[in-house]
Amino acid sequence: MCTDTALIADFVAGDKNAFGKLVERHKKQAYLWALGLVGNKDDAYDISQEAFIRAYRHLDRFDLERPFLPWFYAIVSNLARSWLRRRVIRDYRSVDIDDVSYLLASEDTPEEEYTRKTLIAELRQALLRLPYKDREILALQHFRGMSYDEIAELLQIPRGTVMSRLYYARKKLANEMRHCHA
Amino acid sequence: MHNIRELLAGYVDGELTPEERAAVDKALAEDPELRAELEEFQKLKEVTGMAQYADLPEQVWERYWESLYRKLERGAGWILLSLGAIILIGFGLFQAFRGLYLNPDIPLWAKIGFTAAAAGLVILLVSFGRERYFAFKLDRYRRVLR
Repeated sequence: MCTDTALIADFVAGDKNAFGKLVERHKKQAYLWALGLVGNKDDAYDISQEAFIRAYRHLDRFDLERPFLPWFYAIVSNLARSWLRRRVIRDYRSVDIDDVSYLLASEDTPEEEYTRKTLIAELRQALLRLPYKDREILALQHFRGMSYDEIAELLQIPRGTVMSRLYYARKKLANEMRHCHA
Repeated sequence: MHNIRELLAGYVDGELTPEERAAVDKALAEDPELRAELEEFQKLKEVTGMAQYADLPEQVWERYWESLYRKLERGAGWILLSLGAIILIGFGLFQAFRGLYLNPDIPLWAKIGFTAAAAGLVILLVSFGRERYFAFKLDRYRRVLR
């Protein structure tokens, strides 16, 4: 299978189909990253598409010596951040318990499911109240299940920084969850 | 080595070296506050473990590239259209200015009337366009197939 770098080189050389292959390879990843950052599936879909459009326009300036995913993740992250800034007029922090952007991981009885749904709605609300950087690190570790090494590579930060950012993000999340209960 | 509290994150995630883990175990045995913090982190992990992101329906993924391609194509179309519109509007305004405002045969009241009507039309168009744009962006059902 072609590497990302080989596909980008083909695209820059004029093979437009190579970009389609790159999209097919990373579309779900881009959507899930965006979903973790903005917490809403429709917006996550739009952000993922806009990120590919930006990548398409700037791939000719991409440094082939560097990995593609951290560069592409930075585009998704910047778009998500500006999306959140634009949405300050709308109360995006309110969460609908029946919103299906997050699913329950297991099936329970209706009562247990309701309790879990409530808990998850509280979790989503608490996540949306966190500063962007904290939500980002929690989304990658908790919901994408990435290892510290993978996160460090994606965000281009040292592994130790991943650990300390996760510590402080969890402290804030625990506080926000307590707030929700109160 | 990191601050022992920061190591708690790695402890919960199983990301510590054996030496770091031993240091945390030792600190946990001595510090009840640290144990409470660890318990809180473990509960948090349990709660986040209950949820996972919802995937989109397969048909949305099948149309993903097609939809993206259309946007790319339209992007080029919009650039050309905007460029042409700017040139034509500029030319039209220049002609209108010459024919209307520099023409001494047209009375002042007619010039003021035309200017007011043109400004009103522009304001209405911008306002309507903006409203439609935001209504579309906030429409939760815009991707529902009818």
